[in-house]
Parts: sequence; C-alpha cells; structure tokens
Amino acid sequence: MNGASPANAGGPQRPGTGRGGPVLRGLLVEFDSPGALITAAERVRDAGYTRWDTHSPFPVHGIDAAMGIRPTRLPWIVLALGVIGCITGLALQWWTNAADARHFPWVPVHLQGYTFHVSGKPLFSLPANIPVIFEMTVLLAALGAVVGMLAMNNLPLHHRPLLALTRFKRATCDRFFVYVDAADPRFDPAGTPEFLATLGAAAIEPVEEVVDSGRLPRGLTIAGLFIVCLALLPPLLAAKARVSKSEQPRFNIIADMDNQERFKAQQAHALFADGRASRPPVAGTLARGDLRGDPHFYEGRVAGEFAATFPPQVQITEGSIRRGQQRFNIYCAPCHGLGGAGDGIVAQRALNLDTPGWVAPTSLLDPLVVERPVGHLFNTITNGIRTMPPYGDQIAEMDRWAIIAYVRTLERSQNARLEDVPAELRSELR
Amino acid sequence: MSSAVREIDNTLDVPGQRAALITGGHDLGSLTDVACAPWEAPRPPRAWYIAFGLSLALLAVLGAMIGYLVLNGVGVWGLNNPTGWAFDITNFVFWVGIGHAGTLISAILFLFRQKWRTSINRFAEAMTIFAVVCAGVFPGIHVGRIWLAYWLAPLPNQMAMWPNFRSPLLWDVFAVGTYATVSMLFWYVGMIPDLATFRDRARSKWKQVVYGLLALGWTGSSRHWHRFERAYLILAALATPLVLSVHSVVSFDFAVSQLPGWHTTIFPPYFVAGAIFGGFAMVLTLAIPARELFGLKNIITPRHLDNMCKITLLTGSIVGYAYLLEFFTAWYSGNPYESFVFKARALGPYAWAYWTMIGCNVVAPQLFWFKAFRTRVWLILLVVMCVNIGMWFERFVIIVTSLSQDFLPSSWDYFRPTWVDLLTLAGSFGLFFTLFLLFCRYLPMVAMAEVKTVLPLTDPRAHPHPHVPATRAFDYNPDEFDPAATSNPRDAREERP
Amino acid sequence: MNHAPDMSKDVRPIATGRAAFCAAVVGALGLAAGVLFGLRDGWDVFFRSYLLNYTYVLSLALGALFFVMLQHLVRAGWSVSLRRLAELVAGTLPLLAVLFLPLLVPLLAGMPGVWEWASAEAVAHDASGLLRHKQPYLNVPFFIVRCVVCFAVWVGLARYFVRRSVAQDATGDVQLTVRMQWWSAPGMLLYGLTVTFFAIDALMSLNPHWYSTIFGVYFFSGSLVGFFALLALLVYFVQRAGRLTHAVTVEHYHDVGKLAFGFVVFWAYIAFSQYLLIWYANLPEETVWYQPRQGDAWWTGVSLLLLLGHFVAPFAALLSRWPKRRKGTLACAGAWLLFMHWLDLYYLVIPRAHGHGHEPAAPLHLTDVALLAGLAGVCVAAILRAMARQALLPERDPRLNEALSFENI
Repeated sequence: MNGASPANAGGPQRPGTGRGGPVLRGLLVEFDSPGALITAAERVRDAGYTRWDTHSPFPVHGIDAAMGIRPTRLPWIVLALGVIGCITGLALQWWTNAADARHFPWVPVHLQGYTFHVSGKPLFSLPANIPVIFEMTVLLAALGAVVGMLAMNNLPLHHRPLLALTRFKRATCDRFFVYVDAADPRFDPAGTPEFLATLGAAAIEPVEEVVDSGRLPRGLTIAGLFIVCLALLPPLLAAKARVSKSEQPRFNIIADMDNQERFKAQQAHALFADGRASRPPVAGTLARGDLRGDPHFYEGRVAGEFAATFPPQVQITEGSIRRGQQRFNIYCAPCHGLGGAGDGIVAQRALNLDTPGWVAPTSLLDPLVVERPVGHLFNTITNGIRTMPPYGDQIAEMDRWAIIAYVRTLERSQNARLEDVPAELRSELR
Repeated sequence: MSSAVREIDNTLDVPGQRAALITGGHDLGSLTDVACAPWEAPRPPRAWYIAFGLSLALLAVLGAMIGYLVLNGVGVWGLNNPTGWAFDITNFVFWVGIGHAGTLISAILFLFRQKWRTSINRFAEAMTIFAVVCAGVFPGIHVGRIWLAYWLAPLPNQMAMWPNFRSPLLWDVFAVGTYATVSMLFWYVGMIPDLATFRDRARSKWKQVVYGLLALGWTGSSRHWHRFERAYLILAALATPLVLSVHSVVSFDFAVSQLPGWHTTIFPPYFVAGAIFGGFAMVLTLAIPARELFGLKNIITPRHLDNMCKITLLTGSIVGYAYLLEFFTAWYSGNPYESFVFKARALGPYAWAYWTMIGCNVVAPQLFWFKAFRTRVWLILLVVMCVNIGMWFERFVIIVTSLSQDFLPSSWDYFRPTWVDLLTLAGSFGLFFTLFLLFCRYLPMVAMAEVKTVLPLTDPRAHPHPHVPATRAFDYNPDEFDPAATSNPRDAREERP
Repeated sequence: MNHAPDMSKDVRPIATGRAAFCAAVVGALGLAAGVLFGLRDGWDVFFRSYLLNYTYVLSLALGALFFVMLQHLVRAGWSVSLRRLAELVAGTLPLLAVLFLPLLVPLLAGMPGVWEWASAEAVAHDASGLLRHKQPYLNVPFFIVRCVVCFAVWVGLARYFVRRSVAQDATGDVQLTVRMQWWSAPGMLLYGLTVTFFAIDALMSLNPHWYSTIFGVYFFSGSLVGFFALLALLVYFVQRAGRLTHAVTVEHYHDVGKLAFGFVVFWAYIAFSQYLLIWYANLPEETVWYQPRQGDAWWTGVSLLLLLGHFVAPFAALLSRWPKRRKGTLACAGAWLLFMHWLDLYYLVIPRAHGHGHEPAAPLHLTDVALLAGLAGVCVAAILRAMARQALLPERDPRLNEALSFENI
C-alpha cells in the first residue's frame, strides 16, 4: 500500500479532459500518525492553500489550530432555535389553554384556544407551563444542533470521488490523510505534488473522477415521480373527504361505542302493532312508588290552585327548617345567595363575565316572592322557571317543602321587627 | 471468539499515573478489528441465537397481550377501583428510568471529561432508546382506546379542544417525546463516524449501500469533525438538564397530587437518582454478557465495571437517603395520612413488596463498598439483578400502596395482578432484548472513533503524565498499605520554612 | 512542561499580616456593632440576624469541604491547583464551630431564641398540637446533641483532609492521597446526612409547622453556588497578589465557571421542584411557608430578585464560553452570586409566618449588615492568616501535572 512513489503519484493530469474521461480532482496524501498529520497540516496551511482538508478516523487534538479552522457559528444557531422553542412552548400553552377565543373570532374554530379551569389553577399558570417550555426549548435547540451541524458540513453527500479510493477506506480506521483540491487557486499540477512529497507522507495518490452526464437515469426519474404522485394520494383523498358530504354512515374502523345494540327513544320497530320500539306502560298500571295521589303534597296544588298552606304531612319544626337551610345552601344558594337576595356566587360571576343570555336570579326577599303562596314556590322548585332548571328530580318532596319553610324564614328574618325577637334574647341585640 | 482475550485488572492506579482504559496493547487498526468483530463475524455466537429466540418469543407474548387488551379493554388487567394505576404505570416508570443511565454516560460523564465512558456509551445509549420504546408502549396501551392515543398530542380537532397543559400527564408527553427524540439524535450523530467505518469495511454490496446511506457520506474531514465535536458537546449540554427533567416530570405525575406518599417535595431529584441507579444496574446487566460474548474484554475492562459499580453504590445511597427522609418527614410533618401511608408500606398488606425494595435497593448495593463485589462479574451480576428487581418494586410500592389505601377506608382494595399483567411485563423485556440483540449484531456496539481518542498513542502532544501499563497497577494496593514503608505523615506538621 | 522556576513563586505563602489584621478589626467591630444594635432592636432581631449570617459563612465552608472531598472521591486531576484554596476555606470549620455557640446561649438560658419550638410556652399554646407532636425531635437537649454530632463530623473531616494535604507538601507521600481517597467516600455519606439534618434543625425548624423533604438538598445546592462564587473570587485575588499565576490557568477559571453555572441551574431546579409541588397541591400546611414570602411587596420583591438574580441573570451571563474564560468577568459573576447566596439565606431565615405576634418592625436591620461584616470579617481573617502560613498549592500532589496541562474542549 505504501509502495507508490511520491514522485510519479501525482502524474501530470489535466483537469477537464472531456466527457467520460477521468478528471483530476485533487491529491491525497497518507500519514500513519496524528502527529505527522498535524505537522503536515501546518505546512499546507503555511503554504497558503485554501481548498484543502485533512481526514482522520477520530478528531485529532490540535488539528483546528494546525489547519487554521475558525470556531464554528453553530452555537448561535442552537441559541436562536432554543429561544424560538422557548417562545413556541409558551405561546402554545397560552393560546390553547388561556387565550379567550371570543377575542379572536377571525381564527378558524379548529385552531381557537379552549379556556377551561382545572383544579382551581389560573388559566395562565406559569409554574405549570415551565416543564413544557423547557422541553420545547431543548427539543428545538437539539434539532438545531444536529441539523445545523449536518447542513454546515454539507451532509448528507454520498457522491464523493474520495470514497471511491481503496486507500481512503482506512480514513475511518487507522490512517490520516491530507487532501488538496485541484480547484485550489494555488494548485499546480506539477508543483503541488512536489510540495506534498516533502511532507514526509507514507503515500500520495491522485484523486480522479470519471465525469458522466450528471443526469439521473430515466428509469429512476420516472420511478421517483411515480412515488411522489402515489404519496400525494392519501392527503388528497383526506382533503376531498373533508369538503364533501355523503349520505352513507361514517366508516368506523373501530366501532368504539358509536353503534350499540339497543333502541333509542322514538325509534320505530316493526315487531309491535303501534310500530314503536320503546313500550309505554300497560294501561291502568303504575310502577311501584309512582303513585302520587296527593296533589297538595306532590304538586303544591289544592283544587287546581297553588296551595297557600303547607300540606299536613309537613311538620314545621326547628329540625325541618335546619334541614331546609342545609338543602337550600346546597341547591339554591349558588345562584340565589346564602341570604336569598339573588347574589349567589354563580350570579356574581355571570355578572362579572357579562355572560350573554344570562337572566339574573330572582331575589327571594322580593315582595312578589314573599306574597306568592307556598304551592307556587313548590311548583317553581319542581319544574323550574325561565333559565332556572327543574329540581324535582334532585330534591325529594319533603326537602322541597323544608326549603320553602327555610325561604319563608329567610324572608321573615330580612323584614323582622323587634317584637319578632324573643324577649330574653333582645338584650343581645346591639 | 473471546477465548484469546486475557483479563487484566486495571482497577487500581498509582495516584498521578492513570491506568490504561483500553487493555491488550491495541493500536488503531487492531482496535477497529476488535470493535467490528461482532458485526463482521459470519454468524453471531450460539448464545446470541438462543437469547434472540427467547426474546422473540417474549416479544410475541407482548404482541398477543396487547392484542388481547385491545379486543377486551383494560378490564383484563388487575386494576380495581382505588388502584387505577398499577403494572402499566409501574412498567412505564421502570423503563423510562432504565434509559437515564445511558444519557448519564453519554452526556453527563462527557461533560465531566470521564474518558472511560467511551467504551460503554454507545450501547448504553442504545439501551436508552430501547428502554424508552418499551416505556412508550405502556401509556399508549393504558389509555384504553389506543387508537385515540394521538389525543395526547396538541393537535387541533373539530371540537376545538386542546390538551390540558396544566396536567403533568401532558408534560410527560412532551418530556418523554423530547427525550426519545434527543436520545435518538445523540445516538445517531455519535454513530455516523462508526457507520462510515462499517461502510468502508463492508464486503457485500448491499451492506455498502445500506451503511453508506446511513453514514451520510462521512469522510472524517477535520472541518466536519470540528462542527461535529461542537454539536456533540452542545447535545451533551442539552441532554444533561433534559435527562434530569424527564424523570422529574415523571415524578410530577405523582407529586403534584395530594395523595399521601406521592406528594413530597424530594420526589424530582429522588426519582432522577433512582432512575440512574436502576439504569446503571441494567447497563451492567447488559455489559457483562456482551463483553464476554463479543470479545470486548479489552474495551470494557474491569475498571469500567468497577466505576459503574461505584456509581450504582452512590445512586443507591442517594435513594436510601430519600427513603430515610420520606419516613422522617412522614412522622415530622404530623400529618396523620402521611404517617399512615408510610406505616402501611412497611407493615401493611404490601410489606412484602416494601421489604423486597429495601433489601434490593438499599442493602444490596452497599455490598459494592467491598472491592471483591466490584471485580467479580458473578457477584456484580448478583447485586445488579437485585437492583433491577428492587427498582421495579420501588415504583410498584409508590404507586400501588398509596392508591390502594387512600383517604377513604371504605374504598380500600388490594391489587392483584392478572396473568395479562404479568405476561405484558415479561413481554416488554422481549421487546427490549430483541431490539438490543439486533443492535449488537448490526450496528457499531463500540464508539470506535471515541475510544480511539482514549488510546495514548492518538494524542499528538507529548503527554506530561505517562500512561502506565495496567499490570503495574499491582505494584500498588491500598489494602496492603504499610505505613512503616513510607514517611510518617505526622512529620509534615512542622512549619515550612 | 517544566514550570519549576515559576512554580516556586506560585506556592509561596502570602504575607497577609496587614490584611488579616484589617479583616479581624472589621470582624470585631461588626460583631460589637451587632451586639449594640441588638441592645437597641431586641435580642430576637439579633439572634435571627446572627443565624442568617452564621449559616451564610458556614455554608461556604461546608461547600468547600464538599469540594475537597469530591475531588478526592473522583480522583480528579484538573482541580489540584485549586484544592488548597478550598482547603483554606474548609479550614475555618473549627472556628465556625465556636462561632455557633452564641446561638445556643438563649436555649441554655431557657429563652426561646430564634426557634419557636424551644419555648415551652409556645409548645403549650400551639393550637395545632404539632409542636407537641414534634417534641421528641425538636427539643433543646436533642438539638444540642445533633449539633455536636454535626460539628464533630465537619471539624473532623476538615482537619483530616487539610492536614493530610498540607503534610504532603513536605513529604510528597502518595499514600496520603490514597488515604484521603479512601476516606472521602464514607466522608461524603456523613457529610450528606449531617448537612441535611443541620439544615432541617437550624433553618427548616424556624417554622416548625412546615416541612419539605427537599429542604436539605436546597440548602446544599445554594451552598455550592456560594462556594464556587467564592472560589472564583478567591483565585482571582490570589492571582492578583502574584500567586498561583502559573498553576491556575484560564482552563481552571473555565471549569469553576462551569461548576458555578451548573450549580446555579441545580439550585433553580431544586427550588422550582419545591415551589411547583407546593404551588400545585396548594395544601395549607405547606403553603404557609410561602405565604409570608409572597405576602407583601418587600418579600415578593426579594423572591423575584432571587429568581432573576440567582438564576436568570447568572444563567444568561455564564451560558457562553467567553465569560467563563475571562478572569475579571468571572470574578464579577462570583461577587454577584455571593451576594445572591446571602439573599437566598435571608429569604430562608428572616420571614416568619404571620399571626405569631412578633412581627419584626423592618425586614432589614442594621444588625444584619453589622453581623455580616462581623462574621465574614472573622472568617476572612482566619483564612488570610492561614494563607500566610502555608503554601497556596498542594505542590507535591501526584496529580498536579494533570492540573497544569489540561484543556477544555
């Protein structure tokens, strides 16, 4: 391998001897130790060559100075991408979790943020955002480091005349090389080999390249185009599906719970004479516990009118009023307020947010409410009114009456006179 | 293949003279030959085939279990009402933790100029990536409807809904995703020069093409090396805080909650130390058979094993410190729920798991204080196997004991794994070892370019501190230290002129 | 690599007689002024301030002890030329053990001092019952026992490592290095436990209702930031005085800068871990610690200054390569970080939970400044005095050659 004589190695080849012929691209000089490489590199540097390089199986300590390589600008790329990652992470979290979509109506709805409250944290919670910001910073900075390094090194680049040389295969194993490019302004087909021969090299070899047309084979071009077209099909199909309508039901790859073996309300079925899938109760029957024969107690009505008195089953005691207070504070106070003045926390918040369509809850201390018969209040709790939902399903009848008793207590407490206070407690009033 | 390799003890050095990191008197060429041998051999050793067959079988088990899970739902696991996380998240944390040692070796030890890392960093990084792959399986299948796992990513959808960025589970998606990406980059970038070596040594055409494509046209140009080294340093500097963040974020999954036994401020560093601890145990578990099998005893020397044992001891002690502080604080806080949970861990229904964990994680690594345990491969394997088991149980203890007995005694329930749980765990090892064995056979297992920089002959400068042959290390042994033979240190107390 | 002719000047002790005297005078005046201000502002203020400034100087010495042991543990070569400076700082630990005694005076005299749990009255009137619960741990005799153990360990370790190192200057005995390497591992174990429990006892128990498992690590991380800042300054001034000019190269500055940067980030990581977990869980028994620290404008300002000055600013300043390789720049960063480390301890020690009836009149007293000058002056005097008596370089350490010739990537 080391037998090539330095004198005749760089034979007088002329660059550009025509299509198809070998063209001299440069000269390769082989060394067998990193120390020799550094000495040689210093001499090549001092000789004024600019388009040249050294190759080694590992980064040789001190070669940067010997070749005059200036520090790379890669850290700046990394810094810039890190900053971009940091800002992206912050903006992503702000936009998706904290930005109020109503202020950005021009953004397509798919891309709008979605404000939701989680575990009482503010919408924009910087401490909770730091992990994602950090990860985005590192991710983009690392990508910047790798992509930046490859781009600055002009990699990947597989077509290299050097790689065709058998001798050069040891550049990744145990040999060290200096390569001087023929395109260097100081390159001289006669002088340069002579100069390189003085470097104490183990061997010198010309690097030649057979120049072809530089065009890709026709078959490869067609195959490439075909693959690109094929790859475009799925996104095109998806795009078409997004904008077109179909009578067919959705195609389910995985059924999830979309189609279940059951009948929904109002569905038809041929099995029954009336054509309905769901069955009404048999005429003249009632389910157990569904008999509500006492309209006073169950509907708050006497002879069709709202009852003015509590039904006889309801005993007004301190215990029942306390029960009413407890139920009231659970079900009613969020809107009507603990004192019944219509200033519950929901109402206050709705007021602050200026929610459209919000109807303020009635003050239960309003004379209108005070004068309403208890049956009317019972009906309102059971069936709801305006935007207030019905609570009949959630609050048992006895509790509804207890709430009404408590509401009456509240009303009285707000319009109380001195005489209403028991005599022995009047001294505690101030 | 390995029969010719002579074992040399290079674990000792005289202060001021560094023992050789690569033994056997290798030069650049012979080192490349040794490092490429597992890949260039016409066929791998018989043990490789046996291990690969077993791993493939386990991998098939994993596939079957995932298929069974998808068809039937997560009810096939042993989860019950208070214990909503058990084997799935335990396995996830276990595997993510394993990965941390690889990054520690490749990034943190790089920043600390620990040259011995070069022998083991490549396959430790590979281990990181395969462990993260195994870890990624579990949150994926744990979500139940795994075809909707992409909902974890912040993608716009037709409901105009986004993930909740205040949830640590989403931080996990970012942390583990970033970790997997950066680890892959780090691994691949470091491998480019070695892939070029493979390209240049490949005999068959298809190998030349495949490795040529992977090597990106690397020529070992010094101008390239310059930017390559800078990029590698930057990646190391980025991977160092990243690796700390990953297991910290994993610990946040538990610690931001209010559950006793989960909510404690030492969790982030404690999880990181535990991860590195478990990871080093796995590196040793893999390194010892690999160096035997592929003839790498001169590259992964007793000194490397010794150093790794010491790091295992250090991180194991940090984990013990965290256990101690948790217990102390459970009492010190005066919080009845905290102290209950810790009493329940030590004495309750999962006491068996707890004492397994203590025995394996705190007691076993203390054996590494003794040099005999750091230099005999069978004893090392024994201890690190304990650690592998103990670190799995640590996550199991944390997750299951806290969940199964929380604030409401009426809802307590004992978690029992089903056969699906157990086989899925076993199957994840199949995935891990299948990938690892393929890596050993088809990719450069030793970072040749980096190991070459450690050889004394590759430093172009005259070295001020000579590298002594390893055999001279026997001249010097602190255990046989004879005070009479040297000058008395007490003489030195006299004032200097 | 023959540095022999220059090295002889490098290692010569510095004639620090006048400087040491000045530092001692400043120290004495500071302590005296502190006592006078204490008479005016009350002993409560005095002892809090003493604890703050005492833990400040102590943390620097503990950081130095850690550094010395760490270098032996990992058989480091690069740091040999810096190790003596760290040993000088760690050598103040015996003095610091004596300076701790004033804090025990009120406890022994039956006064509560700074620690609420030491007052029988406070324990009896504690509505939560937590102080009673913690009494088996938080009581005066056991506290003193723990302090004695801690200081015995630290003084023992410091004397062991400093004396062996100095002895090697005379004999060049490599066995000393081996011995120190061997002891550094168990030393680290003892160090970790004592520092943790000292931080819990002295600082965390200032609010005896509060707890955080990471507290010991927090104190440790801050101490290391302070120590590396001090090391940067120390080596800068020693070189200005014409010593270590060859033994310490720009590469050492670079490494000290990297370590300072690393521990700044580590401190931020630990502080953030503690903050995030407590912020997120929002449990009253834990947020009680942050409540006075974010309750008013002053302390919110201190918190934000810590965030910016203890993390953001040094992170940005030390991220790049060149500030770490410029001696003056690194020394400036060191001075800034030393101040920030003081502020960190100020943030740990001074604020108290509201509603305990002893709000300090002002968050910052002249006592704080006086006692800082006093304690720092005394310690600096001790270090300067030691500098005058021994070489500034472990000149016969077997790994010194490595320290002289290494290069950063």
